[in-house]
Amino acid sequence: MSAAKRVLLVEDNEMNRDMLSRRLAKRGFEVGIAMDGRAGVDMALTGNFDVVLMDMNLPEIDGWEAARMIRAGEKGKRVAIIALTAHAMQGDREKALAAGCDEYDTKPVDFERLLAKIAAALGTKT
Amino acid sequence: MSARTSAVGELRHTFRTPVNHIVGYTEMLLEDLPPDDDSHRAQLKEILNAAKVALEHISAALVPSETPATETVRRLYAELEEPQARVIRAVTTLIDAHDLGETAEDDLRRILHAAEQLRPAGAPGADAPTVPEMAPLDDRAPSVLIVDDIEDNRELLKRRLEKQGHVVATAENGKKALAMIEASPPDLVLLDIMMPEMDGFEVLDRLKGNAATRDIPVIVISALDDVASAVRCIEQGAEDFLSKPFDPVLLKARVGTSIAKKRARDRERAYIEAAGAVAAAAASVEAGTYRAGTLAEVARRNDAVGRLARVFDAMATSVRAREQQLHERVRALKVDVARARETAGGKPAAAMPQTGERVGGRYEILATLGRGGMGAVFRAKDTELGEEVALKTLRREGITDPAVIERFKSEIRLARKITHHNVVRTHDLGEFEGGYFLTMELVEGITIREMIDTRGKLSLESVLAIGTQLADALAAAHAGGVIHRDVKPHNLLVNAEGVLKVMDFGVARLSERSAGITEVGLVVGTPAYMPPEQLLGEDVDARADLYAAGVVLFEAATGKLPFEAATPMLLIAKLLQDEAPRARTVNPELPAELDELLAHLLAKRPDARVQSAEALKERLAAIA
Repeated sequence: MSAAKRVLLVEDNEMNRDMLSRRLAKRGFEVGIAMDGRAGVDMALTGNFDVVLMDMNLPEIDGWEAARMIRAGEKGKRVAIIALTAHAMQGDREKALAAGCDEYDTKPVDFERLLAKIAAALGTKT
Repeated sequence: MSARTSAVGELRHTFRTPVNHIVGYTEMLLEDLPPDDDSHRAQLKEILNAAKVALEHISAALVPSETPATETVRRLYAELEEPQARVIRAVTTLIDAHDLGETAEDDLRRILHAAEQLRPAGAPGADAPTVPEMAPLDDRAPSVLIVDDIEDNRELLKRRLEKQGHVVATAENGKKALAMIEASPPDLVLLDIMMPEMDGFEVLDRLKGNAATRDIPVIVISALDDVASAVRCIEQGAEDFLSKPFDPVLLKARVGTSIAKKRARDRERAYIEAAGAVAAAAASVEAGTYRAGTLAEVARRNDAVGRLARVFDAMATSVRAREQQLHERVRALKVDVARARETAGGKPAAAMPQTGERVGGRYEILATLGRGGMGAVFRAKDTELGEEVALKTLRREGITDPAVIERFKSEIRLARKITHHNVVRTHDLGEFEGGYFLTMELVEGITIREMIDTRGKLSLESVLAIGTQLADALAAAHAGGVIHRDVKPHNLLVNAEGVLKVMDFGVARLSERSAGITEVGLVVGTPAYMPPEQLLGEDVDARADLYAAGVVLFEAATGKLPFEAATPMLLIAKLLQDEAPRARTVNPELPAELDELLAHLLAKRPDARVQSAEALKERLAAIA
């Protein structure tokens, strides 16, 4: 891993955004931030990110919809999408995977576990 | 589409988000901590542990796929009190230490904010909100000012009183005493009478003559034999007197009693002021100027007034939210009215021969507004008052039963008393050319009938705005003992401001016969809006109007009547026998709550229906 990996954080909650982006930056990631689903889709499709951390509970276009739109719109390179949800409801994981996400994690974020999932997602990417 | 698909999911989200913030920021602070900084680490770990406890409570209370009872949520709020207090305590300690640097302090404040969100003030079950309690008045040490020109006396008294737990100040003359009292009013003044320059009488006189100091108790110190002076002082408003030399037990008892009395008066005054604040807030709700949080200070009280203020604030805030909701809905209705007007605009009004004619000697017909089954409506000028009114003629053909006519007249008399902005005001009832005429408030608007005819089904917002205002009008009428008996889209006018006006209260009495179903075909207009009991000629009550409101709202929401048939008799048979179809089978976009409400309004039996117009209003308000 020579160049810094690029992470796109799609999150509408100001405190979550601030906290996660700062923690990721400290761990050497380049962090892009989108505040809603639409911006998230635009940036994911054009920003050359390695991984997208997608909050599922977004206003208007929610995370599931945004993930589907990214999958429908991307050409060639497939970005890893990790779904984040505070619900931890049964079926959420299946729903996220069905929408095209690669991984799923619950909030409150266990940061070390999230880092491991990011690493795994990056590792499996070709 | 929102991802928050279930109530329990929504709740978990609401509860977990602040914990998420607490944990995230705390972990970040821990990561940045130098390895040997054990004291800060201990506080941060305490925050994490408390957050973990909070999370366990949340997970245990909010089980996926199970809708939690209100009681469960209430209990959860109570359970979160302890971990919340722990987080706040640890964070406050760290912030107050000021030794982690500015960035860290910002993050600590974020944690504090999140902790406050965990269990917000006013949350259900959060009976003691997380606001600082006011220090109870009685916890302060009582303060006493000693005014005496002789130093030894002052010092002796001071020592004694201090020993008894008082905070004591001294003044050696009257002038200084007055200045000190004004700057910082004590709980009690011990005042010597015999002083040079300004004596005790004058000091007392000034204290009692000033509204700000009048209520501070004064104990006068007099010589043992000077009973006359003591009496004079008490007549002047002193609380009590002590004579020199002091008996320590007596001193303690008199000072203690005076202060206790003053404290009781202070509490009473604060209580009255707090109650006054709640009363003033009630007045501001009426005036529409109430702001949430106005009563914050009173709400912090730990007594009945405090609870009243908290409940009041919550209620007033929800009333405002509902008003806002209605406002939004009315605005949407206005848009629909404007559109319907555009569509209906081209229709020329049929010319009427009566134009220019004078009716009842007083009303000059200006134009025809419409014709109905029972008569016609005109724009007319009240030549006595110089105002324009609506004048409705009612044919009397075939109505000879004096009882029917008397009932009609008494109903109109009652209807005239309904004053409500959603009810067309009835002015005058008169007879003319073998019929009656009614004059009413002239409303420039279109009927719901025209709106549905030109636009088909109306928007949900419009339906809710119509329903809410109709319920308001019916509530006012029913409270005045008037049942409409003929609520239908033709009788509901909406003006350009989106305000709904119900017409023809009392008028339906004229078309009533004493018989039942065989004559129903004779009933003017359509039976489509009538409940079974009315079709059967039984006695009807307010719930008949609620059934009719249900049909109107069904039609507005779907563009279709619940029952339709080729002939009136077939229609009546269906109305009497068939259950109404669910509105969602006609318009699947309707919210389930509205579908449910319409079915409830359209129940065949009156006691299975929504029971009052107020209840209808509540139900409509609950539809987001």
